[in-house]
Amino acid sequence: MNKLLFLAVVLANVKITYGNPSSYAVDGISKPLLEGASAVIRVEEQLFDITSAAKARLSYKVAITILNKSGERYTHLVEGYDQFSSISNISASLYDATGKLIRAYKKADIGDRSMISNFSIYEDNRIKYLTFAHASYPYTIEYSYVKDFKGFLTVPSWRPANTFGLAVERSTYTLQCPESYSFKKHTSHGLQVDSSMTGGKKRYKWTCKDLPAIVYEPYSVGIDNLVPWVSASPHDFEYDGTRGSVADWNQLGKWLHTLSEGGTRLGEETKAEVMNLTKGAATDREKIQILYNYLQQQTRYVSVQLGIGGFKPIGADKVAQVKYGDCKALSNFMKALLKEAGISSNLVMIGSGLPSLNASYASFGQANHMILCIPNARDTTFLECTSHHYPTGYIGHSNAGRAVLMVGDGGGTLVGTPTYHAKDNYLERNAQVTFGHDLVADIDINTVYGHAQFESVLDVLLDEPSEQRKYILENLGIAGMELTNYSYLQADKDKPELTEKIKVRSKQLLSKGGDRVFLTANLLNRRESVPATVADRKTHFAVSFAYSDVDEITYALPEGYAVEHLPKDTELESEFGTYTATYTIENQSIVYRRVQQMNSKRYPPEKYQGFVDFFKQVYQADRQKIVLAKVI
Amino acid sequence: MKSELFRGLQILCWLFFFSVGWCLAQPNRVSKFGEVSADEFVLLASGADSAAAALRIFDVGHCDFNYSQSRGFTYVFRRHVRYKILNKNAYDLANMDIMLYRSSGSSAKEHVLSMNAATYNLENGKIVESKLAKDAKFTEMLDRNYTIKKYALPNVREGSIIEFRYTIESDFIFTLRGWAFQSDIPTLWSEYNVRIPEYFNYKVNVNGYLPVQQPVRKVENVTYVPGVASTAQYVKYTAQDMPALKDEPFVTSLDDYRAKVDFELQGTRFPNQPYENYTGNWAKILNSLMEDKNFGQYIDKKSHSKAILADVQLGDADGLAKIRRIHEYIRNHVKWNDEYSLYTDHLTPKALFEKRSGNSADINLALVGLLKAAGVAVYPVLVSTRENGLHPGYPVITKFNNVVALAVVDSTSLLLDACDQLMPIDMLSFQNLSHQGFLFDTDKVAGQWISLETTVGGESAYHYNLTLDADNTLSGNVIEIHKGYNGLSRRNRYRAKTSEAEYIKDYKEDRAGLDVLGYEIANIDSVDMALTEKLTISIADYVEGAGDLVYFSPLLYERTKENPFKHDERKFPVDFGFSMKETYRITLNFPENYAVEKLPQSIRYKLPDDNGSFGISYLSEGKVLMVASVIELKKNFFSADEYFDLKELFKIITERQAEQIVFKKI
Repeated sequence: MNKLLFLAVVLANVKITYGNPSSYAVDGISKPLLEGASAVIRVEEQLFDITSAAKARLSYKVAITILNKSGERYTHLVEGYDQFSSISNISASLYDATGKLIRAYKKADIGDRSMISNFSIYEDNRIKYLTFAHASYPYTIEYSYVKDFKGFLTVPSWRPANTFGLAVERSTYTLQCPESYSFKKHTSHGLQVDSSMTGGKKRYKWTCKDLPAIVYEPYSVGIDNLVPWVSASPHDFEYDGTRGSVADWNQLGKWLHTLSEGGTRLGEETKAEVMNLTKGAATDREKIQILYNYLQQQTRYVSVQLGIGGFKPIGADKVAQVKYGDCKALSNFMKALLKEAGISSNLVMIGSGLPSLNASYASFGQANHMILCIPNARDTTFLECTSHHYPTGYIGHSNAGRAVLMVGDGGGTLVGTPTYHAKDNYLERNAQVTFGHDLVADIDINTVYGHAQFESVLDVLLDEPSEQRKYILENLGIAGMELTNYSYLQADKDKPELTEKIKVRSKQLLSKGGDRVFLTANLLNRRESVPATVADRKTHFAVSFAYSDVDEITYALPEGYAVEHLPKDTELESEFGTYTATYTIENQSIVYRRVQQMNSKRYPPEKYQGFVDFFKQVYQADRQKIVLAKVI
Repeated sequence: MKSELFRGLQILCWLFFFSVGWCLAQPNRVSKFGEVSADEFVLLASGADSAAAALRIFDVGHCDFNYSQSRGFTYVFRRHVRYKILNKNAYDLANMDIMLYRSSGSSAKEHVLSMNAATYNLENGKIVESKLAKDAKFTEMLDRNYTIKKYALPNVREGSIIEFRYTIESDFIFTLRGWAFQSDIPTLWSEYNVRIPEYFNYKVNVNGYLPVQQPVRKVENVTYVPGVASTAQYVKYTAQDMPALKDEPFVTSLDDYRAKVDFELQGTRFPNQPYENYTGNWAKILNSLMEDKNFGQYIDKKSHSKAILADVQLGDADGLAKIRRIHEYIRNHVKWNDEYSLYTDHLTPKALFEKRSGNSADINLALVGLLKAAGVAVYPVLVSTRENGLHPGYPVITKFNNVVALAVVDSTSLLLDACDQLMPIDMLSFQNLSHQGFLFDTDKVAGQWISLETTVGGESAYHYNLTLDADNTLSGNVIEIHKGYNGLSRRNRYRAKTSEAEYIKDYKEDRAGLDVLGYEIANIDSVDMALTEKLTISIADYVEGAGDLVYFSPLLYERTKENPFKHDERKFPVDFGFSMKETYRITLNFPENYAVEKLPQSIRYKLPDDNGSFGISYLSEGKVLMVASVIELKKNFFSADEYFDLKELFKIITERQAEQIVFKKI
């Protein structure tokens, strides 16, 4: 009873500090902030108060005006917590366009549920959540809460305008800590900080005001170059009974190394198995391959993340017993197997699908995965230990070509994973088309996929034939086709390459036009759209992966028809990539050959029109038609 | 539609019954926990499923009742399932999840009494067992009401046999745990043994496209209450060699086609007490709904409705106008929280209007209350959404998960659903298009099944008026008119954008070469009217030239490029929800020095019984070309046999719409 009463008082106090809700009247928002905006942050105050490496409190409050239906993505209050943090004093209200209070949410309105990542079977993460709803726009939502930490690995970041379409009236971030506490910060270019000493505490304050919304731009790599932001990280931390330092990557690597130390012990049975498996192997390369295949055959991925268990791998002897584990446990198990075979390897912390680790700014939260590295002066091998199907040494597109943290006795070192270039991520297609009676086409397609493109078809290879059939029918895109035969094959299990063979028949390859027939020569790899033009682009853009496609299609001319028109060849060259399309007549056949190679790079905004023009030309070239006329 | 649907289901069941033949019984593979035989390791999937990732060797369930002084009657559910893992795609079968429910208002709950699980591998000719480890059991407290128990088996690899045997006790005897005889992997043997005490009467629903047998059905002597002799009805449900159930496009819920059985309490018959009817008949269901504070009592808050009505300002509006205004008022004042429910969250419409948001029952029953208060004849209609699966038709309340309304004005019926803010009257959201709903006359406390087929389908018309100039650029204007479900989705697409400029960008996204020079939209807020968009456009690089030939496909961006019916096999009916019509017309002025080459043939193609059609026609006069194309599907539900008619129709559409118009320069 007392506790409840106390809570009520606290809530009432929070209300008072909010002050003046009529200031939420929508007509108080200045015109420039409404332009192109889905929502406007009216006021945001984030205070992170560090007492020690083991204790901190986040006080957060925000008021957001939702301007239209597309602003509804900002109507969710969601805050996570776990065994080392707790959330209290949640307060939430909704105001109409005039700033009049419509609804003050009660404790019972706040949901609480587990929040387990889709790759895990168990984690201790939970969320408190509330979704605001109101029938007419605009309206303003307001919420606040306090979150207490018992040990923390990261300091909250600050990104008030973190997406397109969001304007900010005012936002502040105050970070305070004892004088003796050290942390580091990484901020947007030119951001002013107001630092002071108050009551024995260092205090840093960042403020931003009147940021208009940024209109959505396609292919964007983000708006970080346009808006203020702060990332911060402790130097020394305490977490789940351990202490460590993230002052630099080496220190973080040291901590990770301590956690995994001693974890590579194996039972006698597994040792004997390793010996037995590798006894005939002459080279380390062979041993690695044998043991990696053993790992793929014997284990499966089961993820359980609890506290320090999010960083500390389960011991190799335990994995040997149950034959499952998460990325850390399986990488560490593989390390133990290799060690037993006399090969030394290192655990690697990596941001899978995330950017490279920032060399000059070490922090948690840049990585989400662990793989294994077998260093070698000439031939360093990386292993993705959670995949059942990757060839030895193939780590997948999401792990490739980025800076990662290799963990060893001496701490952590940043190294790079192999990059899969355009020539690696290939598609090589050869198709033969013949026309029979009534212009029915028999089409025989042979396609080879490599690396990243291999990955995109790998799931099909592994599926049941009946599902493969569905996949082809849904994706091949030949009008009116009947599928007569198909197969998927990975001829060499040690090579990231697979072959797809498809035979189809279609009556609709040729479209009619009076007495003529029209043939779109590019049968299977057409670009169907052009990136939208953006006036005065502001953000950088990128192509997410490099690839090279070669399509060669041979059309045997249908009987009784002659070529009336053959499209012109196309040759394009730009810094984004190259493209050629050629048409040649050989004997009674037309050979169409298309080669497209794309680079994966980050480009400045001013280059965007060139990018649009390149794809416009590709689009044009891809839809060109061969005209065939009846021979009289 | 309803009767047709159920007849279809029945006939199919009978067909299977006779064609498969039940005498070909295979040896029953059920054995005790831990008794795995060597020949199970050589089992392989066969037939259409020969490449399946796993086999369900057997799945045996029991449902029995218990009585205790403290908890009263509970049911105990036991299950023993054994799988053969054939490849790595089936590894997730080794992680078992059990969902348990707990009441937030009482101490009633479910709990796991026991769990045994193991993996078996054949190693050097010997069967090696690996038991479920203690540290491989987890409890996830999902939220206030649900807990998930999770178990992960060790040593699973290709060829492993795994089994789980567990027992759950539950206080929630209103619905017993049902049984699915079919899953996404093939099943060799599945059985469910249910013993129901004489005190309880359950409605049993056996469902699906493949038959379930009931080889045993008898009365047994079972003592529940010490010293009281009693009997139980024992029924054994079995199915064998069930193929994997695979998804198909355009179905309601795959569960509608799955062989399964479930149970809902209809009444109780305790010694020396009269039969107590829970939901045994419609009268009983409707009476209890009427008394429910989250249904009947909510509608009955007349003073609340009157007070809210004062704010609607009906003036002297007549019947239809009243309905329109009240429907609109609710849509503009209350936001749906995206949850379907038969029961309200709030206790009164007043609370709903204060909080400004609620679930589907809050909103649609408030609509009923307001319309009643305004003197309109209106009835709630109980619905099972498409996701929830088709209602079996006989009196079971738990199969409904939503409520809409039906109003009658001047002897015309209008279906009403006020959840979507852009929904017109006489239309229901797509999820409600499950063919039938149960109309509830709350004054007479009586009801009947009614059709939920709306007269409105999805209708779009595109009228292009363009001029082709000498450099092959098209320019002019287009008028698009979207009605019914197409109007709804177009309005939603427009509203989802930050601004009109962003909408136009989105519109251009998949229309390469299009430039929008002017844009007007009409009736965006008048949801009962057709949505009309007028665009001034120019299209570059669409019309192609080759020597003295100039050609293009006249359907422009509205060409149906792909057949939506791609598969060469169909097991289940095609259920679109609503009918559709797409009209396309282009009038093209072309240059003086162009002459039209031979025009494609005009055709008109009809589905059997005129259930759908496609027509395309070409006309050229002077320097003007006119092309018109109409696609229409008059039915929203086609049987699996009719699938091939649909496929053929769309094959013709894609072929004919791809035909080129050819001009020759003169």
